[in-house]
Amino acid sequence: MGKLRIALVAVAAIALIIAPLVLPAFANQTLVRIGVYAVAVLGLNIVMGYTGQVNLGQIFFVGLGAYVTAYGVNQGWNIMLVFVAACVSAGVVGLLVALAAARLGGLAIAMVTIALPIVGVPLAKRLSEFTGGSQGISARFSDAPEWSGLYTDQWQFYIVLLVTAAAFLLARNLVQGKYGRAFGVVRENEAVAASMGVSPYRTKVLAFTIASVLGGASGFLYLAAVQYTSPETLSFGHSIGLLAAMVIGGAGSIAGSLIGGAYYVFVPQLTNAIDPNFTTLSQGAILLAVLFLLPEGLVSLPRVIRRLGRRWTARSTSENPPQKAPAQHPVPEAAGEEPENTERHNRS
Amino acid sequence: MKMRKKPGKVLGIVAMASVAALSLSGCTRDAPGQGGGSGASPGITDTSITLGVTTPLSGATAGPGTCTVAGVSAYFGAVNAAGGVKFGDGKTRTVTIKSYDDAYDPQKSLSNFQQMVSDNVFAATAGLGTPTNRAFRDAAISQKVPQVLVMTGDPLFSDRQESPWQLGFVPIYQNEGAAFGKLLTESAGQHKVAILSQNDDYGKGYVSGFKDAIQGAANITVVGEQTYEATDTSVDAQLTQLAASGADVFFNAMSVTPLTIAALQKAQQIGWKPSWFLPSNTSSPTAILEPGGASAYPGIYSVSFAKAPQSPAFAQDPDVVKFLAELKQYGNYPDMPAFPHCMWSYMVGATLEQAFKSMAEPTRDSFMASLRNIKGLQAPLMLSGTSIDTTVDGQPAVSSVIVQKYNGKGYATAEKFG
Repeated sequence: MGKLRIALVAVAAIALIIAPLVLPAFANQTLVRIGVYAVAVLGLNIVMGYTGQVNLGQIFFVGLGAYVTAYGVNQGWNIMLVFVAACVSAGVVGLLVALAAARLGGLAIAMVTIALPIVGVPLAKRLSEFTGGSQGISARFSDAPEWSGLYTDQWQFYIVLLVTAAAFLLARNLVQGKYGRAFGVVRENEAVAASMGVSPYRTKVLAFTIASVLGGASGFLYLAAVQYTSPETLSFGHSIGLLAAMVIGGAGSIAGSLIGGAYYVFVPQLTNAIDPNFTTLSQGAILLAVLFLLPEGLVSLPRVIRRLGRRWTARSTSENPPQKAPAQHPVPEAAGEEPENTERHNRS
Repeated sequence: MKMRKKPGKVLGIVAMASVAALSLSGCTRDAPGQGGGSGASPGITDTSITLGVTTPLSGATAGPGTCTVAGVSAYFGAVNAAGGVKFGDGKTRTVTIKSYDDAYDPQKSLSNFQQMVSDNVFAATAGLGTPTNRAFRDAAISQKVPQVLVMTGDPLFSDRQESPWQLGFVPIYQNEGAAFGKLLTESAGQHKVAILSQNDDYGKGYVSGFKDAIQGAANITVVGEQTYEATDTSVDAQLTQLAASGADVFFNAMSVTPLTIAALQKAQQIGWKPSWFLPSNTSSPTAILEPGGASAYPGIYSVSFAKAPQSPAFAQDPDVVKFLAELKQYGNYPDMPAFPHCMWSYMVGATLEQAFKSMAEPTRDSFMASLRNIKGLQAPLMLSGTSIDTTVDGQPAVSSVIVQKYNGKGYATAEKFG
């Protein structure tokens, strides 16, 4: 690890810690929501971007986490316990679903995951003792306490920052290590994975379970940010929204998940400012534009710019000996340019 | 490995960043909720006031949602064109409506509310939806921003202890059930009632209002009671059971359009022809009663408090003519309103204007006090016999509804049952 990188990380960390104190309330509130959805998109990225399993039910785990959090808070549980319960319950449900669904594989897993939010909405309406029925349930645990001297939006920012940073660090380490490589092999070719001693079934179940746990964590954060949840929270449309956010941010990229979360939150605000009567239309236009221009997601923007720049310099100095050109592509340089190495697409 | 930087440089960067950050953090933010120096609340100046509407403008509920913006925009568009509203403090102000799309997503409505605060909106109003309004109710209370005359039948918004900065506009579910129950008890003759209700707060609200109204009435007996889930695709089994009870009145608290049509058809098929009660949102003559073959029944009753522009009876009504013209000119809504929310939102405009007129100071506190003090206001488009009354705790601004009977084309006021 270069010292420069440590310094950069330190600067970024200090900036994040100071930011809420100087930013206006609305900016903090927006950042808080970005954190909430970045964690959900991160989970989706683990199972879809890295492991290649279609998951259309991520919002169900977000909703489950949110309901467990609301229930726990209203029962007066310790907040750490609430957080653990939100993650664990989502993880257990995810594991049970994955045990069955991963065996099916292919598109069947997509079908099973579609069913989750479709079952979830009426379930949330019926179990009104726990969920408050169709009127939803409020739970306030994220108001700034007196002693902190902070505004509520600042306090919420720190809660979300803590959980989001931890989730991203853990996910980054996961995909860099042997599990990350196993995910990649399973995604590319299950037969090859099996021949290398990596069980595709177990790997898929693992990825799915981790995605669910992150969904649950995101649900906890959702309640920290919104302080209310209702059956609308886990409607199927939002799941597709998360999926689009992941693709736009960058599938198979940790940084892309953060960008995806920002997209999910930012674009509705932007389209609202343009004209509230045409939000869906302008969101669709933005989605198409990004996918046409950057099919690998917004995270690939620096890479595309670099590539264009290189092509341009190569053309302008075309008198140079041609053996220079291949030297610009090989692996060592790519690794040097992307020290994070959490990117799936590091072959460009 | 690449060459290493000297540690001194690293420390320098960190130190610089810390210094910059600390000096920045010295700039504290303005305390929220403070407008100009004159003690006025945010969103109100000497010449204008800004109101915000967060409502579904896209997605499945966009139809009624668009109406909630169109009505109030039309009302104040015309008022502004005539010069503005003369407020209680003697100043004349124009009213600006800012709309925000929440797509019926609670998370987005909270985000919209936060944006309203950042956009200096004086009050949130007229937005449609129970979950979406609930999502920012707590935030509105803690920031002391009025969230008033919202379109939800949820009684929570009209509970003053729980919701000091809120007020619902449309009648709560109980009001509708009670109106029909009252009509029934006043009728001569014995009636046997069968009840079918949706198994959630919607259905329960209707049934509890109805039962409270018929309590102790000697001529009414409830002979059968069934429920169904909002996700059910058929209620045939419940209908067959209720038909066997021999009831002559059928109280059907159902919010699902296709299910209501199917129920109207099924009961005819099995030869059960009672009088029906249907909630206001599932009693549309063209969309539900005609396809359901409702003329076969002795009577279909529903409730309303707004004049229906579609109805021939009101085609020449001056309120309706004015409303349609303004909706076209200022509300960006050129068609005949397909949803009653357009009319309701227009009435919200009239109610707000009334509150502004008696608001002594340009503050949110003064606005809430003034808004909670309206009684007997006959807003344009209201049916005779209904009025705005904001003075009763636990009741929304409109709690009086008129029972109406289907006459084969549209609805007419039902003076008595039968």
